[in-house]
Amino acid sequence: MIRYRAFTKRYDGRTAVDSLTLEVPAGSVVALLGPNGSGKTTSIKAAAGLLRPDSGDVVLGAERLNALDPRARRACSFLPQRVSFPETLTGREVVDFYRRLREAPADAADRVLKFASLNGAGERPVGTYSGGMVQRLGLAVATLGTTDVLLLDEPTAALDPDGLCAFYGLVEARRRAGGTVFFSSHQLGDIERLADRVAVIVEGKLVAVLSERELAARLADRGVMRVRLAARVGGLLERIRERSPEAVWFGDELVVPGSASTRPAVLDLVRAAGAEIRGLTAQEGRLDAFYRELIGAES
Amino acid sequence: MTSLRSVLWLCARYELVLAVRSRWLQTFAVVFAGLALAVAGAGYILSGGHGVQDFSRTAVSLVQIVLLLVPLASLVFGGLALTPERGAAELLYSQPVPRGAILIGRMLGVWLALAAAELIGFGMAGLVVQTQAGLDGLWRYGALVLTAIAMTGVFLAIATLLASVNAGRRTRVLAAALVVWFMTVVLFDVVVLGVASMLRSGPASRLLISATLVNPVDAARMGALLAIEGTAAFGAASLALLRFTGGAGMAATLVVLSLAAWFVAPLWLAVRALSRADI
Repeated sequence: MIRYRAFTKRYDGRTAVDSLTLEVPAGSVVALLGPNGSGKTTSIKAAAGLLRPDSGDVVLGAERLNALDPRARRACSFLPQRVSFPETLTGREVVDFYRRLREAPADAADRVLKFASLNGAGERPVGTYSGGMVQRLGLAVATLGTTDVLLLDEPTAALDPDGLCAFYGLVEARRRAGGTVFFSSHQLGDIERLADRVAVIVEGKLVAVLSERELAARLADRGVMRVRLAARVGGLLERIRERSPEAVWFGDELVVPGSASTRPAVLDLVRAAGAEIRGLTAQEGRLDAFYRELIGAES
Repeated sequence: MTSLRSVLWLCARYELVLAVRSRWLQTFAVVFAGLALAVAGAGYILSGGHGVQDFSRTAVSLVQIVLLLVPLASLVFGGLALTPERGAAELLYSQPVPRGAILIGRMLGVWLALAAAELIGFGMAGLVVQTQAGLDGLWRYGALVLTAIAMTGVFLAIATLLASVNAGRRTRVLAAALVVWFMTVVLFDVVVLGVASMLRSGPASRLLISATLVNPVDAARMGALLAIEGTAAFGAASLALLRFTGGAGMAATLVVLSLAAWFVAPLWLAVRALSRADI
């Protein structure tokens, strides 16, 4: 469990996170979504005990310890956004160092290296690793302990396909074991695949907490279909607006915003009007537009 | 929770391994050896002879070089080693152990590594001196090496403080390290002597005595010269302190206390700063 209570953090007078109140229940997988600079990293780092709140607090674990308490850090593992390791150490030496710091059993090193698909590269210096391998090594370190809470800051940003598979497997395993996973991401794929709930933070403020289905539905509603025609057809736009009121002409192109479910009916209308379709594209709702809408709703 | 002692040892060993694999450390060992050999050989060459000086003369001749080089190496190497990149620092300090234990453990590792470089460097030079000039004055040479190791600890403690207050900003740490080196090794004595020359005898003596104990480089110089009985090389400040204390015993005690304070105070401040810092 993680609970933010009016958590506020400022840097040089700029408010990075403004009075965040959020609970990540035990046993759930919650994604923190937001544009760059919205306060995602600050929020996750506060739960990892790396930042002092200007006001409010963050508590975590079954014992509800303050995140700044070293005992709370025994209940959580953290993977930073841009993790790095000394280049002269081997992957195994890195894992072994953190294993000893966490007092994890000796066989944990082999387990996490295998899980991160690094068992073949564990004896090589980190300096020879690709960016994806370094990120996988970070994931391996973050999974060394049997902690209640896993905090991951954009864990998939640099992951290669092997790493993504390993990451998805890790989160599923944690979910099955009743663990709590709180991660930030820009990737809708991660969220759709993993998250039970999505907390949306924009300009330091929590603007929505949605289930994954609610988010998918809201993004689908904000899709756009573009139908390029050989020529405009009189009266067609008015008929389409009965189904999609925001449809407009853009040259010879019909731009039809709205849910994916309305698109077949719109295309039937185009065909019925005898229009020749020269091109067709459909785009699902974009996160940036969704953020702007949420900010508008908030203000 | 992992015991404090095992965290200290774990972090020290981690840093020691990193330092041993760093070319910097090997370079330091070679530089220390080269300088010691050069000094041992230069003494006779300058006076028209050949061969190498014995340990006593080599030790006295090396004092000034040690006072210049050891603070620089400790501040720069220590400052950079103890300032991990942001991602590394975030992972390290999110572990369930006190930040201060990690920091001090790493500092001890760097100290062990630099001390090993000094021992190997001066040791290699010492072997040459011993084969050419015998064992006479070996203990003086040993005392100088011990002084260098103690001084390394003092300046690593200062580097630890610089790394803590500038968490993650390596360029700032490096700049601050160079400023501290210039102030303690060069500027301090110039300013103190300049001010003392404008004062009457009594206040000037008190200023010089205080200056010797306030500046770790001056304290180390005094300690090294006392240890190797090189009091003939004392400057005005060291002579004033020796007269004030009435003998080498009390002067040595004050020097040790000064260096101990310069070791403990920056470390205490560093741990305090880091425990309150946003990582």
